[in-house]
Amino acid sequence: MARLDAGTAARLARGGGRYLADLRVPGCLEAAFVRSPLPHARVGAARFHDGRGLTAADLGLHPLVATGPGLAGAPWIPLGGGRARYVGEPLAVVWAADRYQAEDLVDAAQLELEPLPPDEPLHSQAPTGVLFETTLEGGDVDAALRAADLVLEGRFHCARQTPFPLETRGVLAHPDPGTGVLTVWTSTQIPDLVRAGLARCLGLPEARLRVRVPQVGGGFGVKAHLFAEEVAVAALALRLGQPVRWIEDRQEHLAASAHAHDAVVRLRVGVTREGRILGVDADLTADVGAYSIWPFSASLEPMTAASSLFGAYAVGALRCRTRARSSARCPVGAQRGVGVTVGVHATERMVDRIARRLSIDPLELRRRNAVPACPWTSPIGRALDSGDYPRLLATLAAAAGYDALRAEQHRARAAGRLLGVGLALFNEHSGTGTQDYRRRGIDTIPGWDQSRVRVPADGRIEVATSAADAGQGHADTYRLLAAEVLGVAPERVEVVEGDTDRCPPGTGTFTSRGAVGVLESLVQALRAAAATDLAPGTDIVRRADAEQVYPSGAHLAVVEVDPVGWRPRVLRYVAVEDCGTIIHPEVVAGQVRGGVAMGIGNVLLEEHAYDADGQIQTATLLDYLVPLATDIPEVELHHLTSPSPRTTLGSKGVGEAGTIGAFGAVANAVADAVAPLGAELDTLPYSPQRIFAAVERARAGLPPARPGQ
Amino acid sequence: MICRLTVNGTPWEGDVPPRLTLADLLRDHLQLTGTHLGCEQGVCGACTVLCDGEAVRSCLMLAVQADGRSLTTVEGLDADPDAAALRDALVAGRGLQCGFCTPGFLLSALALRRADPPVDPARVPELLAGNICRCTGYGPIVAAVRAWLG
Repeated sequence: MARLDAGTAARLARGGGRYLADLRVPGCLEAAFVRSPLPHARVGAARFHDGRGLTAADLGLHPLVATGPGLAGAPWIPLGGGRARYVGEPLAVVWAADRYQAEDLVDAAQLELEPLPPDEPLHSQAPTGVLFETTLEGGDVDAALRAADLVLEGRFHCARQTPFPLETRGVLAHPDPGTGVLTVWTSTQIPDLVRAGLARCLGLPEARLRVRVPQVGGGFGVKAHLFAEEVAVAALALRLGQPVRWIEDRQEHLAASAHAHDAVVRLRVGVTREGRILGVDADLTADVGAYSIWPFSASLEPMTAASSLFGAYAVGALRCRTRARSSARCPVGAQRGVGVTVGVHATERMVDRIARRLSIDPLELRRRNAVPACPWTSPIGRALDSGDYPRLLATLAAAAGYDALRAEQHRARAAGRLLGVGLALFNEHSGTGTQDYRRRGIDTIPGWDQSRVRVPADGRIEVATSAADAGQGHADTYRLLAAEVLGVAPERVEVVEGDTDRCPPGTGTFTSRGAVGVLESLVQALRAAAATDLAPGTDIVRRADAEQVYPSGAHLAVVEVDPVGWRPRVLRYVAVEDCGTIIHPEVVAGQVRGGVAMGIGNVLLEEHAYDADGQIQTATLLDYLVPLATDIPEVELHHLTSPSPRTTLGSKGVGEAGTIGAFGAVANAVADAVAPLGAELDTLPYSPQRIFAAVERARAGLPPARPGQ
Repeated sequence: MICRLTVNGTPWEGDVPPRLTLADLLRDHLQLTGTHLGCEQGVCGACTVLCDGEAVRSCLMLAVQADGRSLTTVEGLDADPDAAALRDALVAGRGLQCGFCTPGFLLSALALRRADPPVDPARVPELLAGNICRCTGYGPIVAAVRAWLG
């Protein structure tokens, strides 16, 4: 395939991207939000300067309830509906001619807040605080553990983190009194789901709403939710009959967009003396914050994490009791890799622990337990479509020079250096379709995707999909693919995304569906179009409801820990990825490299913290640390290709794999580096403070710490 | 307050509120929206512009502090063949994905080029540690800037 069309990148590099904050609409008012200073409170009377402020009740906003198996049915309530449930929650909207004056109005606003006791339930529908609960089970776990030579236990905690796109959220709502249609520009990954949610919250038919997506400065999952600010700005624009916009600042983003993870996984794993893993008994609790977030619901993180445990290994029996608990904290939603990162961290740390206990090399232990061949169905029913796990390991070992690395580590340790080598073998599910969502208890997401190929009178070829590009570059990939399939010049093809008027409805862009369901619908539409003469008037729509596919990978990291400041540094990173057929090598490389960098940040640096009073401690970039150029090594990237039989082109998606692999490889490398000191690490991030504390405990002969229990 | 400055070689004069940031002056009054706001806390570097040749965070500087100064934003790089070469190298090397951080990286790199004594290309990662990119993993950016400096 030809090189990527550099037109978009060149325009962006000139500063010519039209992101949400760059849209100019005459007479547009600026909104700002009055946010809760308390974690849990009843909201009483509200007074605003000049009457320029409205609450949920004033705006008549309706809550949304995600329903499905295992869910308590607790609502998601825009602007709180008379209650504040976390610090930073938007409770009222104010407006002015510019942001400076709008913030003055926020300062002047007076909201009567009556603090509620910490044990007061956040939602009457969930008096015990459990928003979601289920058990995944397959095979006879108890028998497997009884048959084992030994049963090892572990407890692994993944920090509360956040996706952190460089562009914050933003929304601009523009009513047209002539047509009665409200156009809502928003920086989102899910235009159709935003429209559906807005319609329900505002009590409007969807036909009265048009959602448009401008250039988006990164999403990584956080922009795949409906937010209270979107609902409030839309309602305010309708109320005032004027365009209104809101641009989030970084403090708001860190405190009150959506967080991710904050999950504890407990494992009991039965193994034979030869290192064969017989059975896994797991228990997983995720703190999902104040709401069952819309549209993914409280089941997102715990279900994804639980189903990914030991996913790349041929384990005969697996049980995971899993639940989501609410807390007076920012709601938890999607972040690159979602719960798979949590599951892979626990799994891969445990596999290394087993290896150490049995004095078996970690690579060898993985060889003995890896899924031997695909297709393969796990005891909990994950039907791996494709993949070659033994070959992933062999390729990684050869590419990294594994034996030489271990020899080098041996010499480094003899010289007093803390050098660690960490491995990860993993898979993920991507392109999740309708049946998978229903089975996982999520009723609010369609799961299918659509594409449309249209030839207008001017002879251009318009390719419209239900996806929305957030900077991954898939739109450019689609243009090239369309040109190739249709046998036309790429310049003739226009890719349209992120406009509910011009694009066929679908699910949006997350779980790498841009390379699975959306791509499948596009291929079908393009092939149907190619069979015609592409005459003006041609208009073909195809819908795809993908079965889950399983990209896989094996990663290796080399980490050195400084024995004075305890700072871990990633010296080397080798990734072998199998995303099936590669549609565009440059996009795949960019996704893996960027994903690994995010994973390194997640494992070594990133953590949201709350104090005992429920106040967030990490609302600035001096407190919430994201990786810089100095933190990321070159990523040595190698490919294996086992095409999926479930998609026409055989692609499986690659948006998350880099991040997921790093949760295993980097974590294991840090742990391996300090293992000679007897230090045990199980709580992310593996920061200098945590490493130091673990080393101190080991020196004092104490058992590993149990923070967050 | 009356503020007189030169932006990308063109003089500008206007009455600005004392609390207006330089970034908002550029974006809202001069319509130069290539300067992006990523944090407004002076950390992410997306809003970096050159002020009398020196890289500054336009989110932390008030417009009135730029009175009498000469500013360069990403929109001014076409006039500088050397800067345009870096921009083209960044595009060719896939040194951007979503593009939101890119203007800031370009201006920070440009300040490095003008440093006296010249910077050591080996130190590029630490010299660019004042700019955050969440998409690329930095590798392609570092490679492009190194090659350009070298």
